[in-house]
Amino acid sequence: MDKNPILRIATKILFAPIILFGLYVQFHGDFGPGGGFQAGVIVASAFILYAIVFGLEKGKELFPLNINLFLLALGGILYGGVGIVSMLLGDEFLSYNVLGSSKQAGQHIGILLVEFGVGLTVSNVMIALFYAFVDFKSSNGETK
Amino acid sequence: MISELMINAFLVSIMLAIGIALLKSRSVIYTVLLTSAYSLVAALMFITLDAVDVAFTEASVGAGISTVLFLAAMAFLPKKEEQTVNNQAFPAVICLVLGGVLIWCSYDLPEIGLATSPIHQHIVPEYILGSRDDIGIPNIVTSVLASYRGYDTFGETIVVFTAGIAVLAILKNNKKTLNKIKSQKKVVKNG
Repeated sequence: MDKNPILRIATKILFAPIILFGLYVQFHGDFGPGGGFQAGVIVASAFILYAIVFGLEKGKELFPLNINLFLLALGGILYGGVGIVSMLLGDEFLSYNVLGSSKQAGQHIGILLVEFGVGLTVSNVMIALFYAFVDFKSSNGETK
Repeated sequence: MISELMINAFLVSIMLAIGIALLKSRSVIYTVLLTSAYSLVAALMFITLDAVDVAFTEASVGAGISTVLFLAAMAFLPKKEEQTVNNQAFPAVICLVLGGVLIWCSYDLPEIGLATSPIHQHIVPEYILGSRDDIGIPNIVTSVLASYRGYDTFGETIVVFTAGIAVLAILKNNKKTLNKIKSQKKVVKNG
């Protein structure tokens, strides 16, 4: 697909708006439809689109594998971490009331962080799966 | 009411058509694309039920990313499915009987959106009031998902995480085995 100018330019134009829409869905989940799962998938689709059009090597230059795996684990740790912090502040696991100055502020902070953790894990699992499939395919193709 | 019925009938007939086409298709690409189309129609179906969050998830995950991942994973498969199932009468009878039983049972379900149905009586009023008073978030789905059912969502996230690293581990190991076989073959050839 290296020589197809329409795909390349369309990808370059669409890449930033897709990420922006993903972030909107991520942080607007409190007020409208959306949340971590959907936003993670949307952000992942931008990186996967880039890797499909420009090739896996360029995709890995844009979003390296080690950062991908680090963020994959960080999402789960962030979610669990919010729970443990709320425990350390003297409430139950994942009870956000104690995180802020008031009950509602605490809930807002807790939900925002937890959804961000979900988004991180989901998007990076999707990107990692895509990398792994394509990587395996190309290495498998050489054996034949 | 009538327009809602018409929309539902339209969507169900599209789903039925896609289902029949899926039964007939033997090409892998065709099957993946049909599944994606089915997910999109299912997302529209969820919108008619006013479940926008679920529709959003179905459209982005079912119709979007899983299609891409299926297409990427498809390279491991042969292009065409071999037709091995010869006797299709017995599975067809089971499907028809099961479907019939489910449709028969659906007549006992309360009407969709009925406020007095049992599911809206138990804990839901507490969630609806609590989302306004305790949490202060307009989207009740988010407050249930992230706060009231935070444990479940934590579990879901860990499931996604575990599934991801399991696939990575399997593919990495397979790659190593392939390389080993390759080098052994070379040794045999050279020897």
